[in-house]
Formats: sequence, structure tokens, C-alpha cells
Amino acid sequence: MKKEIEIVAYRCKKCGKIHYPFHDRCLACKSREFEKIKPEGMAKLLTYTRIYNLPWGFDQRYLTIGVVEFENGVRAMGQIHVDESAHLETGMVMKPEWGPVRKQYGEAVYGLVLKPAG
Amino acid sequence: MRDVAVIGVGMIPFGRRDEDTLMDMLAYASLKALDDAGLGDKSVDAVYVGNMGGGVIQHQTAIASSLVDRLSLLPAAAETVENGPASGGSAVKAGLLAVASGYYDTVLVVGGEKMREVTGWRATDFVATLTHPQVEYPYGITLPGMAGMFTRLYMEKYGVTREALVSVAIKNQEMGGLNPYAHVEMAITKEGIFDDPAAIVNNPVAADPLHLYDACPVSDGAAAIVLCPLEMLKSPAKPPVIIAGFGQATDTQTLQEREDPTDLKAVTLAAQQAFERARLKPSDIHVAELHDAFTILEIAESEHVGFFKKGEGAKAALAGKTRLGGQIPINVSGGLKARGHPVGATGVAQVVDIVWQLRHELPKNRQVKNAQNGLTVNFGGFGNNVLAFVLRRVEK
Repeated sequence: MKKEIEIVAYRCKKCGKIHYPFHDRCLACKSREFEKIKPEGMAKLLTYTRIYNLPWGFDQRYLTIGVVEFENGVRAMGQIHVDESAHLETGMVMKPEWGPVRKQYGEAVYGLVLKPAG
Repeated sequence: MRDVAVIGVGMIPFGRRDEDTLMDMLAYASLKALDDAGLGDKSVDAVYVGNMGGGVIQHQTAIASSLVDRLSLLPAAAETVENGPASGGSAVKAGLLAVASGYYDTVLVVGGEKMREVTGWRATDFVATLTHPQVEYPYGITLPGMAGMFTRLYMEKYGVTREALVSVAIKNQEMGGLNPYAHVEMAITKEGIFDDPAAIVNNPVAADPLHLYDACPVSDGAAAIVLCPLEMLKSPAKPPVIIAGFGQATDTQTLQEREDPTDLKAVTLAAQQAFERARLKPSDIHVAELHDAFTILEIAESEHVGFFKKGEGAKAALAGKTRLGGQIPINVSGGLKARGHPVGATGVAQVVDIVWQLRHELPKNRQVKNAQNGLTVNFGGFGNNVLAFVLRRVEK
């Protein structure tokens, strides 16, 4: 597992469809030409869950995970770092950060961390 | 292409089978199917084994090669088929195509999984390896987690309530209690889930908004079928059942890349293909085994295969339309929810249960009266690789 979960999306040069993760051919038009784009701006929470039966590798009581859409259309999964009692709802604006999401062989793996904006 | 008949079926009870190895379970189910087909001391042309986790959990590969040796089926052709939780369905498809094409006449298909050998932590992690290795898995997402996110969207879009989800769990656990092959035999009640103070302990949140009773158990188990061309059956001992149609379709690996994540396109397409090939329509089906790894999936799949309109599946479940005796009985076996979900076995077990139904071999309290046509849906990944089979009883 990489130490960092890069968030680089790919916009099709022919039809404009945004892909994340990478695909060798555009999911819409089959083109192979892409431009790399970074997620921009704040993120809208599309859906989320709080998981209590965790997989091997997580030594904590629960994990909150969501899927967001950034202002430039990039969609990505990330961990939501909030207290168990925090109110979440779909459509709310989240502030994206870059932070540790798990440990691998004692070292932190960094990825997308989300917190409610404001 | 030749019509392909299921001439033998076999299953072993699902659950926690500490005393058996993966190979034991595959062998037991295979022998039952071979005996049921009347092939007790004969061989077969080919064997397809559906298994997802042997290489990860048991540290064992080339499982089909090992099985033909153990069963003295040498020199039959043998392959292991891995397609995540749809491994069983894919093994059935491999056997179906092999016989339909004329390459082989007699084929054994067996699916099995031994998941209770490791801790829940490890089993959860093993199944999560089917998520995207760079953009999903590292965050700790699990299959219950994927289902939780899907359920939230489905509830918001279609107004599905917890009562509707619970109605599926109650129905399937009730039927599991009647099925000697089921992992979960405990009946549950609406009052116990909503009103009992102990529910918070007995039925805790697993992956919000899903609770423990919304999810299938982690199971050991195996199931097997024997296939041959219908034209070779001269005077069958049991009513022949053919695989009249199958379909398979894929979708994006990540939920985030689906335009509408509540639209299970691969389920719709796989079912449409299966119906077209069988020259039947959803209203012709008398009994169905759908992939209810989570209660929401039984509701969503019942809509996507065409039994109910989008948004009507939950109402149908609440109205009892999917119960035995209802408009379209779904998961009379107890489904994955109660029969259990040894991942590689499930797609084969669904076919076994439908064959029993179409042969009219089940006891009255589980038999769909005069069932002639059945449907199975085996849901791989989180809906990104789905197989559907339409089975039909033929009078010969």
C-alpha cells in the first residue's frame, strides 16, 4: 500500500468526463487522452456511513467514511473525522484535508480527510 | 447451442464447520450432487469450482485440481473460478457454456468457501479486498460500509424505511428456521427489534443505517450441481430442470463513478439478458433467490430485475408480496441473510434451491406451489459484476 493516497483525477480531453480513479479509456467515449486535474474547493457530502465492524488493520471502535463531490466535479471517498455524536447529513459541505487514514507497518498512510465546514 | 439440464444437486449445511477443511466441504457437496444425478461411480468431463478466498484464507491455490484428485474424477478437466462473491455464479456459467457449446457432456459445478477459519476482523478484510485497492480499500471501507452508503441513498431517494428493511430480515430468518441447510435458524420479531431495550445490544448498528440483522452472516459451506445436455436425458428419474437463460453484466468498480449510485445497472442488464434468452418475462417467474447480502439488496434487486417498479420494492416487502404464498416468493431458502453467505458457494446454492423448488421436492412449508420457472441473482463486488439465471422445469 502506498504511503499516500494521491487524488489525481483525469478529465477526458475529448468529452470532458472526469474520472477518479484512472481508467485507460474514457468511460463515456473510449478516448485515451486525459488531462490530470486536482480536486478543487470544498466538497459536498454525497453519502456516508459509520462502520462498527472494522477490517483488520484498524484498532479503533468505529470509522466514518463518506463519498464527496468537489466543486470542480471530482468525486472521491474519504474518512470523515468527527465525534460519534456529530450531526452529518447528505448535501452538507465538508472541508477537505490531507491527513492520516490508517497505519501500515507502524507508519501512517495519508489520504483524504473530511470535516464539516464552518 | 444445446439446452442444458441440471441433473443433480447437492448442498451441505451452511454455518460454522470447524471440523471440515475447504476441500472436505467441496467434496461432500460434490458427492451429494453426483449421487443425486445417479453418477455415483462414474466420472464427469469437466469440473468448475467457484471459490473466492482459498488463496487468501486457506493459503491454498489450484483448488479444482485438488478436488478432482480427491474425488477420483481424473482425468476430468478442472478449473477454479474466482469472481468475488459471484464466483459461484461464474462457475455455473462456465459449466453451462461448456455443455451448451457441445465441448463437454457431463460437468460438475461446485462452489464453496471456508470463512470462519479466521477472525471476523480478517474475514471482513478479506471480502474488502474486492474494493478498489488505491481509492477505496485504504480508507477501511468494508462491504457492509458500501451497503450502508447505498442504503442511505436508497432510503432518501425512495423513502425506504427501517421497517421495510426489518421485514426482509424477519421473513428470511423465519424461512431459514425451516431450512436444514441454513446457518441462521433464529426467528426475530419486529417488536424485538424496535421495542425491546435489549435490541441495542442484540441488533447494534453495523454500518449506519444498517444494523446487524440487516446483514448476512459469515459462513462456511458448499453446494454443487451436475449439468448435461437435455437431449441426453432419455428417462430421467427426476423432473428435468434446465438453465433456460443466463445473463451477466458489469458496472464501475467504485460507487462514486456511477452517475446514479442507486441504479444497479448490472442487475438490470443481467436479468434482462437471462429473461430474453429464456424467452420469459419477470411475471413468468414463480420463485426467486436474490442476493440479499444486506436487506436493502433484496428490495433493490426485486425492482431492478423487474418484479416491481423502482421505489415499490419496499412496499411490496411490507405488504408480504415476497413471502411464500405472495405474488413472487423471494428467498424462500432464507437467502444469504439466513442460509448464509460462504461467498464462493452462494451462486451455486441459489441454483440448488431453485432446482429443489422446480422439482417440487421441498416440504409444504417451503415449497412454492406448482413452481415452473425460477430466477437467481448472484451479485459480485458491490454490484459491479452480476450474474442472473432463469431456470425452467420441463416435462419430458
